[in-house]
Amino acid sequence: MSHKGNSKGKKSAKAGAESKSEDVLQAVVLADSFQDRYRPFTTEKPRCLLPLANTPLIEYTLEFLAMNGVNEVYIYCGAHTDQVEDYISRSRWSTASRTCPFSVLQFVRVSDARSVGDVLRDMDKRSLVDGDFILVHGDLVSNIMLDGALAAHRKRRETSAANIMTVVLRSGGQEEHRTKTNGITPIFVVDTKTQRCLHYDEMSPLNSDRYMSLDPAVVDELSTEFEIRSDLIDAQIDICTPEVLALWSESFDYELPRRNFLHGVLKDWELNGKMIYAEIFDEGYAARASNLQMYDAISRDVLSRWTYPFIPECNVVPKQTYQRNINGVVVEDGVFHANDAKISNSIIGRNSTIGSASKVSNSIIGRDCKIGANVVLEDCYIWSDATIEDGTRITRSIVADSSTIGKNSTIPTGTLISFGVQIGEGTLLSKNAIISPVTVDGSPVTPDTDLLGAATNAAPLANPEDEDEDDEDPAILQKSLIYSIAEFNISTSSVSTLSSEVSDDDYDQVAHSIDADASTRSRLSSFASDEAGEKLSFHNDAVHGLLDALRADSGDFDSAKLEFMGLRLANDASDSMMRRAVAVAFARRAAELLTPEYGPLEPSKAAEKALTASNGATKFVDEVGVGGGEPEQVEFILALQKGLLHAKGPEQSRVGILLAALLQQLYALDILEEEGILGWWGDERAADGEGMVTLKDKCRVLVEWLENAEEEDDEDDSDDE
Amino acid sequence: MVSHPAGYAPDLEKYLKTLKGQQLDTSVESLISLLKRRQIKGSEPCAVATAHILLQVVARSKWHDVDGLIDNISRIGRRLVEAQPKELVIANIVRRVLGLIRDEAAEDRNEGASGTPSEAQMTPTDTVHPDPKWPTSTPTKQDSVIDQVPNSPKPVLQSRPTGLSSYSSVNVPKTLFHLLSVSGPNDAESVLHGSPFGNSGTSTPSWRGHSAQVHSLRSEVIDGIEEIKDEISQVDDQIAALAEVQIHPGDYVLIHQPSATVERFILRAALKRKFTVLIATEPPRKQSSEVQHTSFRKKLAAAGITVINIMNGGLMAYMSRVDKVIIGAHAVVANGGVVADAGAAAVARAAKEQGNAVIVLSGVYKLSPENPFNEESLIEWGDSSSFVGFEDGAMVSGVEIRTAITEIVPPELIDTYITNLGTHSSDHLSSLIADHYKQEDVDFHLWNEGER
Repeated sequence: MSHKGNSKGKKSAKAGAESKSEDVLQAVVLADSFQDRYRPFTTEKPRCLLPLANTPLIEYTLEFLAMNGVNEVYIYCGAHTDQVEDYISRSRWSTASRTCPFSVLQFVRVSDARSVGDVLRDMDKRSLVDGDFILVHGDLVSNIMLDGALAAHRKRRETSAANIMTVVLRSGGQEEHRTKTNGITPIFVVDTKTQRCLHYDEMSPLNSDRYMSLDPAVVDELSTEFEIRSDLIDAQIDICTPEVLALWSESFDYELPRRNFLHGVLKDWELNGKMIYAEIFDEGYAARASNLQMYDAISRDVLSRWTYPFIPECNVVPKQTYQRNINGVVVEDGVFHANDAKISNSIIGRNSTIGSASKVSNSIIGRDCKIGANVVLEDCYIWSDATIEDGTRITRSIVADSSTIGKNSTIPTGTLISFGVQIGEGTLLSKNAIISPVTVDGSPVTPDTDLLGAATNAAPLANPEDEDEDDEDPAILQKSLIYSIAEFNISTSSVSTLSSEVSDDDYDQVAHSIDADASTRSRLSSFASDEAGEKLSFHNDAVHGLLDALRADSGDFDSAKLEFMGLRLANDASDSMMRRAVAVAFARRAAELLTPEYGPLEPSKAAEKALTASNGATKFVDEVGVGGGEPEQVEFILALQKGLLHAKGPEQSRVGILLAALLQQLYALDILEEEGILGWWGDERAADGEGMVTLKDKCRVLVEWLENAEEEDDEDDSDDE
Repeated sequence: MVSHPAGYAPDLEKYLKTLKGQQLDTSVESLISLLKRRQIKGSEPCAVATAHILLQVVARSKWHDVDGLIDNISRIGRRLVEAQPKELVIANIVRRVLGLIRDEAAEDRNEGASGTPSEAQMTPTDTVHPDPKWPTSTPTKQDSVIDQVPNSPKPVLQSRPTGLSSYSSVNVPKTLFHLLSVSGPNDAESVLHGSPFGNSGTSTPSWRGHSAQVHSLRSEVIDGIEEIKDEISQVDDQIAALAEVQIHPGDYVLIHQPSATVERFILRAALKRKFTVLIATEPPRKQSSEVQHTSFRKKLAAAGITVINIMNGGLMAYMSRVDKVIIGAHAVVANGGVVADAGAAAVARAAKEQGNAVIVLSGVYKLSPENPFNEESLIEWGDSSSFVGFEDGAMVSGVEIRTAITEIVPPELIDTYITNLGTHSSDHLSSLIADHYKQEDVDFHLWNEGER
C-alpha cells in the first residue's frame, strides 16, 4: 500500500514538473480570408464552415493543429463570426465540453479589419501570443507533422533572434498538378544549404512578361547556392515568432501574408535584418481550399486518400460513421441505394437515398439527400439535404444545402447552385452558371422564372467580374469552379507572341491608361501599370498639395515642402517630375489669381503674389523647382508654360502676360537667369503647338529687354535693385 | 525555455503521461482522436492504451454495482472500437476486462452464498509463490488477516498488486489462466489463504450498493487490468523464449517486415544458434541510402548472423532455400486467419507451395474471438502516398491508388502459432479463446451499436 502510494506521488510530481517546463504551442487561425472566391456560398455561410467531403473545412484545420500538439488556439472569423462561434461551441472543440484537446480556444474579434494584415496588427496590439505560434488559414487541409520543422525553427531562433519565421511548403513536382493553385504561381528562392528564403514572388498567366526580377544582392551577398522553385504547393502554414506580428505592425500597408508581407520582408532584408526560412516537405499533404478550384482538387485528394487520416473512413469528426465498401464507395449509416444503382469512388452521407438505375461516380453526397431514379452524377459535390429528382444529369458542379433540382434537368460543368435554390423541371443551364436566391450583398433576387421554372426562387448571378475594378488581379482566374484562361485570350502557346506585341506600345498605353480599353489593360503587366499609376498620382498629389499651401493665408510653406519631399521619396519621383509638379502648381496659382474668384488681380500682381505671398515659397521654387543650371531652368519654364496653357479660366492673352510677369518676377528674384530664359526662347519645344506660340509671343518684350540688358550689364544690375 | 527533442505531437507515451492529470472524459476523448488520427497505431500500442484507459474507467468513473461498471466499460470500449475498428486488439482487451469484472462479481456473489467454491479461482497464482519471494507484502497480508474481521476484505485485496508485479516470466502462463483454471496442486495453499476471503464474505451479508464492496471490486478489477498490462509488456520476451526450439542451426529463416516481436525472437535465437536470416521488405518508394531495418541488421551482424535483404518481388527465387517463414501478427481471428502486414499472405503462400513451415508470432491478447464474415472489413487501407509520391501530378490525378496496410493470411497457410503461452496449432486456438473470453463478451463488437 505504502509502496504504491509512493510511486503514485512520484509520478504525479514528475508529470507536474514536466508540464510546467513545457512551453505551450500556440496557433492563430485566420478563418476569414477577405476574399469572395467562394461566391455565392459565402454570402450566407462562412468559408470555413462549408463542407469538404461532408466535413466542415474548419474541422480539418483544427484537427491538423490538434495532431501537432497545439495547445492554445486563437481564431479570427470576420464575416459570419456568430455562425462560426455557434458551430464551435456545439462541436467537440468547445473548451467547455472537456472533449477539446486545446486548453484555450478563443475567438478574436477585430472590428474594422479589412485585410489579414489588419487582423495580425491587432493581434500584435493585444499580445495574445507570447511564444512560437503556427499561423494557418481556416481552410487548411493537411496531415503534415510539424515536429521536425518546429524543432528546426526553434533551433534557428535560439541561434539568432533575427530568424523569425519558417514557411512550410510541400513540393509539388515539375508536372502539372491539380492541387497547385491555378492562376497564381508562388515562386520561392531558397538557399539550398541553410534553407533560408531569399526572395518571394508570384506569377500569373496575366503577366505579360514572364520575368521575375531578382535582387542582385541575393547572388552577391546572401547566397552562393540557391534554388528558384515554382513547383511548391504553398498551404500558407507559417511557424512564427511574435516578432512577426511586430513586423506586421511596422508595415502598416501590408495586407496579404504572401504577396505583401513575405515579399516585402524578404526584399527589405537589409533594412529589417530579419530572416525567413522555408521548410520544404516531400512527404505528407498540405493544401488550402482557398478557392473553388482548390476545393475541387482537395475533394479529389480526399477521395483518393491523400489526406489520410483525414478521410471520411477514419471518422475523425465525432458522430460520423463512414465505412468503406467495395468500389471505393464510402458510406455512412442509413444510406439506401437501389440495387441497380451504379456507385463508384464516392462518399455518401447518412440517410441519403439513391434511386434505381442512377449512376454516381467520383462524387460526394451529403446527409439526407434524395437522389431520384435514373440520375447521373459525375464529379459532383452535393451538400446536405438536397433533392435531385428523376432523370437529372449533373456534371462537376456544386449543389449547396437544401436545394431542389427538378426532373430531367441538365446541370453542366462548373455550375454553382447556392443554398435553398429551387430549380424546376427540365431546366437546362449553361456552363459555369451561378444560381443563387440572393444577390452578392444578401438581398433577394427577382426569380428568373423563364430559365429556372415557375416555382423557382433564384436567378443566375451576374458575372462578378463586371464590377471588379482590378482586372490585372490574377484572383479573377480563381473565381470559378473550373479553371480556365480561355476567356482572357491567353493560352500558354500564344504567350510569347502576345508579350512581344504588348511590349512595343507598353509605355504608351500606360501613359494613356486612364481611358485605355479595359481588355487591353488586363493584358498589361500589373507591374508596369502600377508604376504609371504611381507617377500620375504623384504628380496630382504634389500639385494639389502645393496649391493648397499656396492658397492658405497663414503662409507657412515649410510644412508643404516637407510633405512634398515625403511624397517624392514615397514615389521615388525623379527631379524632372518634381520640377514639373512645382511649375504646374505655381502656374495654376498664378492663373487662379487672375480670376474674379480669387482676385481679380493684374497679371504682374498675380505673379508677384503667387511667388512671394508665402514665406519660403520663393526659396522652395529656387531649390526644388529649379535648382540647377540652364537646362533645368529651360525645363522649368517649359513646364510653367504648359501649366498655364492648361490652366482654366482667364483668356489666353492675359495668361500670356501672366507668363511674362512670372518670368520677370523669377528673374527679379534671382531664381532664373537670363541664360535660362533665353535658352527657353530658343528652344523649339516652347513653340510646339498653337497655344504655346501664343503664350511665347507675349514674352517677346521681356526677352528683348533681357537681350538688351545683357549688352548693358551695368543697367541690368541697377534694374535689379 | 527548455528544449524539447520529443516535439509537440501527441503519441502514446505523452498520452499515458497525461492520464493522471486529466478528467476521465477528456482522456477518453483524446484517446479516441488519437486512434482516429492514427497517432496511436499498431496492435501493441493500441492494446496498452486500451488497458490504461479502461483502468482509469474502473478507478474513476461513477458506478455503484457490477452492472454499472460493465455498462461503463462496454460503452467506452465500444467507442474505442468504433474509433479504430480494424485493430481487433482493442476489442480483445475490452472483452478481457469485461470477463474479469464478471469473474470478480461472480466470485463475490458466490462468497455471499458460500465461501468455498470461489477460493480456488480466486488465488491460483498468488499461492504459487512461497512467501519469502515477496517479503514486502507479507506483513501487509498478516495485517490484513488481523484487520479484516471487523472490516471489509479491502486490505487483503490491495496487497495483490505487489504480488502480481513481482511475477517472473516463468509464472505468467499461469496468470493467464488464472481466471478460469482451477489449479489442483495448489489447493492446499489456496485454502490456507482462502479462509480470510471466506470470512470476509460471510461478514458482509449483502454487498450490493455497499460502498466497501464496491471498493473491493474496484481494486480487484484494477489489479486484473494491471495484470493484463504486465502480460502485454512481457509478451515479446515470452515468445522469444521459445525461439531456440523453433530455429535450428543452419536454418534459413525468412521474416517479412519484422515487427518488434519478430526481431526479439530472432535475436534471442541468435544468442545460441548460427543461422541465416532473409528479410523480405517492400521496395522503398524513394531511393534512399538508408537500408531498411538498419538497426536490426546491425544487431544481427553483431551476433554473427548472416542477413540477406530481399524485395518482395524476388521472394520466390529464394523460397527453395528457406526452411522457415516467420510472420508477426497484428491479430489472429478465431478461425486461425492472421491479420498481418500487407505482403505477408504472398510470402505465406509461396512458403506453402515449397512446403516450408510458416510460423506466426502473436501474443495471446491479439487472439480475437471474432470470426470475420467479411474479410474485407479487417483490411486497413492506408495513405496513398506509400507507393506514389504526391508530387507526381499525373499519377495523382489519373490513377486510383489503393494501399493495404494489413491483409489476411488464410489459416490453411499457417503451420504453427507461437504465443506467450506456448506453441499451438490452429485447432488449439479455439480452446485458447474459450480460456480468455467469456461467451457473453464474444459478441461484443461494433455491430452491437444498433441494438443499444
